[in-house]
Amino acid sequence: MQAFVPGLYARSEALVQATRDLDRGRTTQQAVDEQVERDLAELITVQQASGLDLLADGMLRWQDVFRPFVEAADGLDTGALTRFLDTNTFFRAPSATTATPALPQALNGRYFAPLPAPRLVTVPSPFALAQGAGVEPKAVAEGVLKPQIDSTDAELVVLEEPFLARAESVDLNGVGEALEKLGGGPKLALWVTFGDAQPLFEQGLADLPVDGIGVDFYATRVNAIPEGFDKLLLAGVLDARSSVPEDPSEIAAFVPQLHERGVQEIALVPNGDLQYVSEPVARDKVERLGNAKEAAA
Amino acid sequence: MSTNGDVKFLTHEVGSLAKPPWLVKTSAGKPLEESDIEHARVWGEKVGVDGHEELVDLLQQDERDADEIARWASRYCVRLQESAGVDWIWDGEQQRSEMYAWAIAHSKGFEPRGTVRSFDNKYYSKSAAVGPVSLGEPYHNDEFSFLKSAAKHDLKIPITGAYTLAVWSYDEHHLPKSGRLGGGLSRKDEVDARRELTLDIARNIIRPNLEALIDLGATWIQIDEPGASTEEDELDVFVESFNVSVEGLEGCTFSTHLCFSDYNLFFPAIEGMAGCRQYCVGFANYDTTELGTSGADRPGYEVISKWRDLPYEPILGLGVTDIHTDFIESPELVRDRILYAVDVFGDASRIHVCPDCGLRTRSWDVAYEKLRNMVEGTRLAEESLNRAHAGATK
Repeated sequence: MQAFVPGLYARSEALVQATRDLDRGRTTQQAVDEQVERDLAELITVQQASGLDLLADGMLRWQDVFRPFVEAADGLDTGALTRFLDTNTFFRAPSATTATPALPQALNGRYFAPLPAPRLVTVPSPFALAQGAGVEPKAVAEGVLKPQIDSTDAELVVLEEPFLARAESVDLNGVGEALEKLGGGPKLALWVTFGDAQPLFEQGLADLPVDGIGVDFYATRVNAIPEGFDKLLLAGVLDARSSVPEDPSEIAAFVPQLHERGVQEIALVPNGDLQYVSEPVARDKVERLGNAKEAAA
Repeated sequence: MSTNGDVKFLTHEVGSLAKPPWLVKTSAGKPLEESDIEHARVWGEKVGVDGHEELVDLLQQDERDADEIARWASRYCVRLQESAGVDWIWDGEQQRSEMYAWAIAHSKGFEPRGTVRSFDNKYYSKSAAVGPVSLGEPYHNDEFSFLKSAAKHDLKIPITGAYTLAVWSYDEHHLPKSGRLGGGLSRKDEVDARRELTLDIARNIIRPNLEALIDLGATWIQIDEPGASTEEDELDVFVESFNVSVEGLEGCTFSTHLCFSDYNLFFPAIEGMAGCRQYCVGFANYDTTELGTSGADRPGYEVISKWRDLPYEPILGLGVTDIHTDFIESPELVRDRILYAVDVFGDASRIHVCPDCGLRTRSWDVAYEKLRNMVEGTRLAEESLNRAHAGATK
C-alpha cells in the first residue's frame, strides 16, 4: 500500500498574497520565488510527516496543468480562458498552430522542483493536452511530453487526465497509441480525475499501456474495476473539491473492497488536484491520507 | 432608440473596477507612498472628482478611516465611468470586499474555508454552508443610498446571484459527510442538495436584498451569475433560483450577467426565465480582434442568435471589451461587433453595449481607455446605422 499526492497543490495564503502583489507591481519575482520555496519546504515536510511514499512538488509555479508546456513548446499557444470542468477555476485552453508541436528542450527545475527520491512528477496526459487544441494526442505525446519524460529521474510519472471521463466519445485506441509513445522510461500512471471511470473501463481503460490507472472513487463505483485488474491502482479517496475532512477509518475500511476486486497494488491519492481546496484544508487532507494508509496497512 | 427614431444604444458597465492603491493600503493599515497620493491627485483632476483635494489632504494624514476612503474610491469610479461616457454605472464595487465574500460576510450559516485559485494569480475566498442560511442585514443599502447622492448618471445595482453563491461555496450542511466513497452518493443526490441550498439563498438572502433596494428606489438590478453554467445539469436550478428571487417584485428591471462559459449550455434552460429583461454577456474574450461585420469575422458572437430567438425577447447586453487583456479595443472594432449583433438581431433596440465583465483585473488606465473606446465605438455604430437608415429612406 502506498500513498501520494500528484497534481497541483494549493498555494498558501502567503503565496497567494505574494503572487497577487506581483501582479499589481507591489513585490518582486524574487520575493515570490522565496515564498514558493517556503511553500515547497512546508509541503515536503507534511508529506514526509504523513508517511507518503513518493514526494511531489505540488506544481506551485504552474498557472494551470498545461501552461508551462504550452508556453515552452513550438506550435502551441495559450487560448481563451476556459472553465476547468465544473469548478470555479479557469485555465488557458491550449491551441495548436502546427500539427506537430515540439518542446525544444525539457522544462527545468523551475517547473519540476528537485526533490529527494523517491518522488513523482505530474504532467498532462496527451489526450488532455491535445483536447480542443486541434492536434492528435500522439503528436503531443511524441513532440512535447516525451522529451520531458525522458529527462526525469522520478520513480513515477503521473499523466493527469481530467477530460477523458467526460468526453462524449473516446477513441481509446488513439489514447493507447499516444501513451505508447511515452513508454520506455519511468513508470507511467494515467490519473483519470474528477469523473466516473466506469464507461472507460468498459471500453478497455485497464488495458492501456501504462503501469497504473487513477480512479476517482467519489464518482466511480468499486465494481467498475474489472476483475483481474493487474496494474497499480491510484485510488482517489480524498475528495479534492470538498472541504469536508475525510475520515481515515472510512478510507481504511474501503481498501478491502478494492482487494476483493482482485487489486493487488494500491496507492491512495486524491481524486484530482488539491488546489480546489485552500492550503490549510489540503494539508489536513494530506495528513488524513497518511493516517488512512497507516490504518489500512 | 431615441425619440426621433435614430438608433441610440444604451451603454453600461458590468460591476467591478480595480481598487486604487490608496484604498488598498488604507484597508490593510499600510502607510501610503507619495505615488499613491499622486494617483489620487491625478485621477481626481483627470475625471473631474468634485472636492478631490479633500481626499488628497486626508491621504496625507497618519490616521485614515477606511470606510471614508472607500466612499472616496466610489466617487472616483463613478466619475471615471461618467467621464468615459457610460450611461448606466455603478461604483466599481469599491465598498465591497469582493462579490462573493461581501455577500457571505453579511449572511448567516456560512464559515470561511480559505482561499482558492480562480485562474493564474487570481483567487477567491471560499466558504462552506454549515447550517440553515439567512440574511444578516440587507447588504447593499448603504452603498446604494450613498451612490444616489454621488452619481449624475443612472445606477444599475449589481448583486451576486443565488446560484453563484451556492456553487462557489462548499456545502457541509446538505451533503452527507460520510458514505460517499465508492460512488455512494448519486449525482441526483448532489443536484438535490444544490437545489436546496440555492433556493434557500434565493428566498432568504437575495430576495430580501432586492425588496430593500426597491424600497430605496432601485430601478435596475443586475443579478450576477458568473457561476451559472458551472454544472451543465443544474441549469434548471439556476433558472429556478432567479425566478424565486424576483417573482412578483415590481417597479424594477431585473437582468443577469453571464460570462466565460459555453453559452450554448444555457439553451433551452433560460427559456423559462422570462422575468429576466436583459442578459449581459461576455463575448469579446472569444472573438478575434480583426475588423469586420460578417459571421466569419465575429466568431465570438456566433451564439447570440440564441438570445434573439428567446420567446420573451430580452435585451442582450453585448460584451464588446475583453476584460482579461490590456489590449485596448479600437472604436472601430467595437463598432463592428455591435453592427454584427444588430444584423443578427434585426432590431437595434434589443442591444445594449457593455464590457465582457467587471474590469477589476485591469488598471484604471486600461479600464478607462477601454470604456472610452467602448462608448466611442458605440457612437460609430449608431452613426453607421443612422446613415444607412437615412440613405434607405431618401
